Amino acid sequence: MKPEKEIHPPKWADVLLKWFCSERVIETLQGDLYELYAKRRSKSSKLKADYSFIGDVISSIRPFAIRKLWSKHSNTNAMFRNNLKVAWRGLVKHKMYSLIKVGGLAIGITACLLISIFVKDELSHDRNYTEVERIYRLINVSNDPADFEKWLAHQALVAQMMKNQFPEIEMAGRLIPYNWFEGGENQVRRSDRMSNAYEDSFAFMDQELLEILRPEMVYGDLESALSKPNSILISRAKADKYFPDENPIGKTLILDEDLENPKVVGGVMENPDPQNHLQFDFLISLTEREFWRGEQTSWCCSNYNVYFKLAEGINAEELQAKLTKVMQENYVPYLRERGNLYAEAVEQYRSYELQPVVDIHLYSRDLNDVLKNGDIRIVWLFSAIAFFVLVLACINFINLSTAKSANRAKEVGLRKVVGSFRSNLIGQFLTESILVTLISTAFGIMLAWVLMPFFNTISGKTLDIPFEEWWLIPSMIILAIVVGTLAGIYPAFYLSAFRPIEVISGKVSKGAKTSTLRSIMVIFQFTCSVILIVGSLVVYQQMQFMLNKDLGYDKEHVVLLQGVNSIGDKLDLLQNNLLNLSDVQSVSASNYLPVSGTKRDQNEFWKEGRSKIDKAIGAQVWHVDDDYIETLGMNLMLGRDFDKTSLRDSSSLIINQTMARELGLDDPIGARVQNWEGWTVIGVIEDFHFESMRDGIGPLALALGRFGSVVPVRVKTNNMKGTLEEITAAWDEIMPNQPIRYSFLDEVFASMYEDVQRTGSVFTGFSVLAIFVACLGLFGLSAFMVEQRSKEISIRKVLGASIKMIFSLLTINFMKLVGMSLLIGIPVSFYLMQEWLLDFEFRIEIGWIVFVVASIITTIIAIATISFESFKAAVVNPVKGLRSE
Amino acid sequence: MKIGAFEELVLLAVGSLGEEAYGVVVKEMLEEKTGKSPSIGALHSALYRLEDKGCLTSHEGGATSERGGRRKKYYQITSAGKEAILEVNKIRLEFSKNIEGLNLGLDEA
Repeated sequence: MKPEKEIHPPKWADVLLKWFCSERVIETLQGDLYELYAKRRSKSSKLKADYSFIGDVISSIRPFAIRKLWSKHSNTNAMFRNNLKVAWRGLVKHKMYSLIKVGGLAIGITACLLISIFVKDELSHDRNYTEVERIYRLINVSNDPADFEKWLAHQALVAQMMKNQFPEIEMAGRLIPYNWFEGGENQVRRSDRMSNAYEDSFAFMDQELLEILRPEMVYGDLESALSKPNSILISRAKADKYFPDENPIGKTLILDEDLENPKVVGGVMENPDPQNHLQFDFLISLTEREFWRGEQTSWCCSNYNVYFKLAEGINAEELQAKLTKVMQENYVPYLRERGNLYAEAVEQYRSYELQPVVDIHLYSRDLNDVLKNGDIRIVWLFSAIAFFVLVLACINFINLSTAKSANRAKEVGLRKVVGSFRSNLIGQFLTESILVTLISTAFGIMLAWVLMPFFNTISGKTLDIPFEEWWLIPSMIILAIVVGTLAGIYPAFYLSAFRPIEVISGKVSKGAKTSTLRSIMVIFQFTCSVILIVGSLVVYQQMQFMLNKDLGYDKEHVVLLQGVNSIGDKLDLLQNNLLNLSDVQSVSASNYLPVSGTKRDQNEFWKEGRSKIDKAIGAQVWHVDDDYIETLGMNLMLGRDFDKTSLRDSSSLIINQTMARELGLDDPIGARVQNWEGWTVIGVIEDFHFESMRDGIGPLALALGRFGSVVPVRVKTNNMKGTLEEITAAWDEIMPNQPIRYSFLDEVFASMYEDVQRTGSVFTGFSVLAIFVACLGLFGLSAFMVEQRSKEISIRKVLGASIKMIFSLLTINFMKLVGMSLLIGIPVSFYLMQEWLLDFEFRIEIGWIVFVVASIITTIIAIATISFESFKAAVVNPVKGLRSE
Repeated sequence: MKIGAFEELVLLAVGSLGEEAYGVVVKEMLEEKTGKSPSIGALHSALYRLEDKGCLTSHEGGATSERGGRRKKYYQITSAGKEAILEVNKIRLEFSKNIEGLNLGLDEA
């Protein structure tokens, strides 16, 4: 053979040619190219011939030669329609499996949709202010390693001082959101009416803060609404309530019968956007307001939240680093001057941070914010759960599709024999899965719509499916296609890879090949279920623990009469009249209650005479009356209760055990302590929970004080309704102008843990979903397995196997998988729930019983699911399985 | 039937080659007659187009070793193809009548 006869064109060009050329063209085109190459080789150098060959290949990249990637033929549309038809027939033929696939995916999509709406809402809080990216809130930071803390309360003068010192700050405004003076709750009436109504959303605000936040105004001028002393800005809803059909500007409101300081309406704003962190209906001006002499110019007391609007283009982080100087130059000397031992700590550890206003809603958990905010962790938790439920549903789809592969293997083989390409088959299977997800999405949207009210109760929101938004339907379709592709891609490649000869000659074992993968997926599903079950149980236990723990006081049978501050000097009369009722055991009066969100008064305490020597301890001072301890059922451990007839007791304290311990009082009775005045300890009370159980019990002292807007009444009755009627009658007699308003201490107490309750509901709700989806999958798999092994079962029965043997034969493999899930799920859930419990100072130990219960629940559910089909197979007459063939 | 100028040349070449017209030969024929060498891609593209238009028919045959075992695709002109050439010529003639001093030499035919 002559060497020049051999053809060696550049290989890559040849590969390229083969890659882009369609089958129709390659035969003759490549032949011609080779022939030309051979001719050129005989005439000229190899290099030249190679170049010509490459040029020819490139010149051939033309429409006529290029193969179509998805369809070899131009009947794409017809094939697509055929695919749809085949897919639909497949769905209808295997109704049960279709139902499982569609049902599971629909649930997954429902969860996804509900949670996306929730997450979208959570993420879009506080976006609607003008130039929102320039608005910040000032945070105090203490980096003391022993006492790391962040909080929002600042001294009155900080805002303006910083604004004057730093040109970067364009505007500075203050807010008092606390239950403080007229802040919080009040009895309200128009100055020309007599009857009071109760309102609970008052706050103090600077005119400048109003101009930073710029709420939409209904009446009045934004630039002057709060600029006059004692002016008040009210929401549209409240304007409609108190001044229906008139312009309220210039009208006056009386708060808590304080006739000397009537509030003049300076403007009406739109109702607060539910997505804003400030939800106050009444904003009282801070202009020229001084709560006590020197308050506005002193560094003593922190009661203000501070907001800044920065100048354009200012980097908040750079500014934030400079702000600390204000504290170092002013606050530290102030403390030093007074010999306060905190000066050191402040100098060393304190600094300021700026929080973007858009972060307030989700990132204020550790700021001791009194405003009701969300929690980014909840957003993550919800998102993770939605994702997992969807993944579980996809796994069902994949498992069932590959399990059923045996039934489709022949179809695949035959299609290949008659000329189907792999791409056609992949297209066909993807069409099927996308059809399934589209149907599921439709059901999912419907289901979400049905479940929305339920979801709103557990998430504490008022959300709606945004049907009117243009993006909803397209995005759902895209979601369906993405999910369909993800769920279908593995089955598509798996099924389309069958070799026709093997399939048709029966070599492909019936769906057994991927059993490892399927097992892993079942384990994954049940692991998720176990984790969610354990989660639900632990949250439930913690909730029960908190509701039933011995609190150090008795929260049952206490009625709280609210809004009593407007009663004036008739309080004694009311108390006496109430005591005369047969069901009433004792009556007190105090704003300070052992549930969060009620009045607090934090003080610094020392042993008397040691305020310059020792570090202070922070302690609550609660002003109560002499019936308080009895009414709330607290336990006096040492000493005596207050005696209001004794003059001495005006400077007596009853302290709790923690305070005695922290002050180091070995013999507390008769000990002298001081805050800004001296006190004698006359009693020690057992520690009681006065905040949520997330926090420990701090030092607390009770002092005798007369004033209170709340009258707690301890009742002993079998007929609560009758008792309440009697109390109402007694109230109406004395306060004809103010309707009675009462609540129950145990209910107020329970409402502290609403968020825990919510977490519990979420866990339970999604556990049910996850378990349901996992069971659907397991049910499908077991049904399929029974179907595959029906002949084997029949023969075993003929040969004498008992029902029990058949049953265990069919269930044992699945039970092994469930066992594996328990082995994985239990440690994971233990770890996760341990983390969750760390939020609580008072928490349960996770006992083994939780895991036993979770294991039993999971196992029972799994057995029940599998048994359904297994048992049917085990008792069936073997003739039925063997008759055919 | 509309055909382009290059297509016309290819058609003519195939027609004049009779039974022997396949890619490489047509290319060489065109090279010889026009002095310009069309790229093989352009040539094949035109051949497929003409086949789609019905001006050419084809059959496969004759693999040789220098073609790497690939078969040749032989083309033959159809009557539709001949008609297409005539049509082009008619247009050409129409124009030439209006151009003074241009004699295409077709009047006698």
